[in-house]
Amino acid sequence: LSKGIQIAIGATLIAALLGGYGWSALREGASFRYYQTLAEFREAGASGPARVHGFVAAGSIQRDLGERAVRFEVQQAPPHTGGEVGPTLAVRFESLETPDLFKDGAEVVVEGELVGGAQPVFHATKVLAKCPSKFQPQDPATASF
Amino acid sequence: LAEIGSIAQQLALLVALLGLGFAVWAGVRRSPEWTRVGERAVWAAFALTSVAVASLLTALALCDYRLTYVAEVSARAMPLHYRLAALWGGQDGSLLLWLWILGAYASAAVFAQRRQNRTLMPWVAAMLLGNQAFFLVLLNFFTNPFELFPPGQAPSDGNGLNPLLQHPLMTIHPVLLYTGFVGFSIPFAFGFAALVTGELGTTWFRSTRRWSIFAWAILGLGILLGGRWAYEVLGWGGYWAWDPVENASLMPWLVATAYLHSVMIQEKRDMLRIWNLVLIGLTYSLCLFGTFLTRSGIVQSVHAFAQTAWFGRVFLSYVGIAALLFFVPLWLRRRELRSPNRLESVLSREASFLINNWVFIGILLVVFWGTLFPVITEAVRGAKITVGPRFFNTLNGPLALLLLLLTGVGPLIAWRRATPTSLRRQFLWPATSALATALVLLATFRSRLSFYPFAAWTLSGFVVGTIAQEYARAIRARMRAGEGPLAALGTLLRKNQRRYGGYVVHLGMVFILVGTAGAAFNEERLENVRPGDALSLDGYELRYLTATPIPAQHYGGAVARVALYRGGEPVALMLPEKRIYWLEQQPTSVPSIRSTLREDLYVLLTAVEADGSATLKVHRNPLVAWIWLGAATFVVGTLIVLWPHPERRERAAA
Repeated sequence: LSKGIQIAIGATLIAALLGGYGWSALREGASFRYYQTLAEFREAGASGPARVHGFVAAGSIQRDLGERAVRFEVQQAPPHTGGEVGPTLAVRFESLETPDLFKDGAEVVVEGELVGGAQPVFHATKVLAKCPSKFQPQDPATASF
Repeated sequence: LAEIGSIAQQLALLVALLGLGFAVWAGVRRSPEWTRVGERAVWAAFALTSVAVASLLTALALCDYRLTYVAEVSARAMPLHYRLAALWGGQDGSLLLWLWILGAYASAAVFAQRRQNRTLMPWVAAMLLGNQAFFLVLLNFFTNPFELFPPGQAPSDGNGLNPLLQHPLMTIHPVLLYTGFVGFSIPFAFGFAALVTGELGTTWFRSTRRWSIFAWAILGLGILLGGRWAYEVLGWGGYWAWDPVENASLMPWLVATAYLHSVMIQEKRDMLRIWNLVLIGLTYSLCLFGTFLTRSGIVQSVHAFAQTAWFGRVFLSYVGIAALLFFVPLWLRRRELRSPNRLESVLSREASFLINNWVFIGILLVVFWGTLFPVITEAVRGAKITVGPRFFNTLNGPLALLLLLLTGVGPLIAWRRATPTSLRRQFLWPATSALATALVLLATFRSRLSFYPFAAWTLSGFVVGTIAQEYARAIRARMRAGEGPLAALGTLLRKNQRRYGGYVVHLGMVFILVGTAGAAFNEERLENVRPGDALSLDGYELRYLTATPIPAQHYGGAVARVALYRGGEPVALMLPEKRIYWLEQQPTSVPSIRSTLREDLYVLLTAVEADGSATLKVHRNPLVAWIWLGAATFVVGTLIVLWPHPERRERAAA
């Protein structure tokens, strides 16, 4: 075997191993993240884990120290813009650790599951908040979810 | 004053375009006179850009809110140094800074090389002026930092800068990143000139070696400081999140690191000529692409990209054109670039360097794919799918381990072909060091040790063994010639600065990987505590005393006093803050960090609750300090590599 072929075989082997490994890592659904808007979420009538995008309804944030949870409501459009607000989604975040950018009117993505029958509550395990439009998205903290 | 900046910026564009024309003309006609004109154009463009920068800085310092940009990124209440740093707080100013740094590099490179490389120089100047002209077009026509409000509509105060950017590290981190990014324009321009003129020897990379190493080092340091900033400011207890913006700066650094290694093979064995040109072309293209990624907002959403279509499309075309200008001549010259030498054995240093290159490119592909995945899925399937840090970690973890192994192996294998005897002699001590590390780890941690930290630390033992052996042998050899140990060390660092400085850089990287592996042992705790109550975390006890208001300035808020005990003994008073920046109406948590070589204790005041209790978040992050120690070692190493030794240059010239 010539050196060239030896190297080619070695390279192919390594590439195949890495490729296969990469593919398996990608297929693990857990490393995927995506989100729907509140309207899309309602339309889909989804059950199961979901990530929903919306805005924190003004004055809806309640911190429940006893239960170590934060309750708030999410609406489709940002508050104070005069647009149709529509029905809100009640969210219960199972932690007291809300991000700094989380406040009235903040753009959020909540990750969790809709629970309950007549008055369903979205049990969120994660809340990601985005800066209101005041600053251009230009640094890691405010640029993306 | 703003008008001066605006005019300077317009003149600079004119000069850059004219200079570009002269330089190309000089290159085509091989005319020394026109080359000199092109060089003067480089200096003139830089002088004019400097005037524009100075003018914008003055506007920021004097709170001249007639300028929309100044109003967007600064406010009267901000201290002067943050007002000045707001120069790169937004898009327009950042691009101006980019341009200014490019001009500085171009002028310095042209000045330093004014007597050598006369045939390459017109094309070098042309490439650099072309790049400047592009940024000047952007600044003059698309993102003009000197744009004024219509008369009478100027606000009396500005918006203020994002509070997260109001941090000492943020005053230097972007500058370092850009200095790193832009620095690669010099080897890129020389590579381009070599391809155009057909002077394909070693001149292009020998002339630009120090520039490449400098840019690479600054970029590396910038990335590390960015991590440090994230750790101290973003308040999630970590330093790296595989965020697109972080990835954008990491990608060119990875390729540049590969380049710095493989160019040694070209130097020693005259192999990989094409590959090295590919790497340097790719590095600069990725620098431009990284700027595009962070500036266009494409990763946030393809739709956002479409909305700011002008900027994004113009910039992307520029990246494409720059890459084509480099890679098309490279393709045309590919036959001339064939190397006379071949790889002789898989057991050779060349081969280990080659694998090192593949691994770097592998990591690059992972990062590139992961960063652009949301863009691809949004374009193809309409839904944005982001891959999380887990994707990057699972794929890059093993690659990083392989790289660590190669860091230890590379220096031990001979050039061309290694013999079994030499291998045995070379590997004995490093392997022993690795084995000893492994045994100590197993004895200390027993079953608590997972694979990744175990492998990372064991391999680190191996690399440290290699480095120590290399130093010890070289010093002993000199001592036999009659030098004292310290004098011998000094001679090594002076006479063979790249090799022994390089080992120090390796040591820094080892420290960094040792530190990141510590994350496997991270612990965290969130607790709501009343004044006087305590929470405990792994042998530590944190007693919450009170929360007091922060003395009013451009921000206010609360600072919590938390007494830290270890084994019943008081060790520190932690003062985490919850700030509210008045103008921006944005709350910001400022962690209180107690750092030791063993571990960091990172306390956040998540909230002061309505009933007077406080919600605290505590992270115990082992070995994080080693990352910053590694960063410092990295800097020392690059300083050793780059330290000028005038007597050597004279000898080289003679």
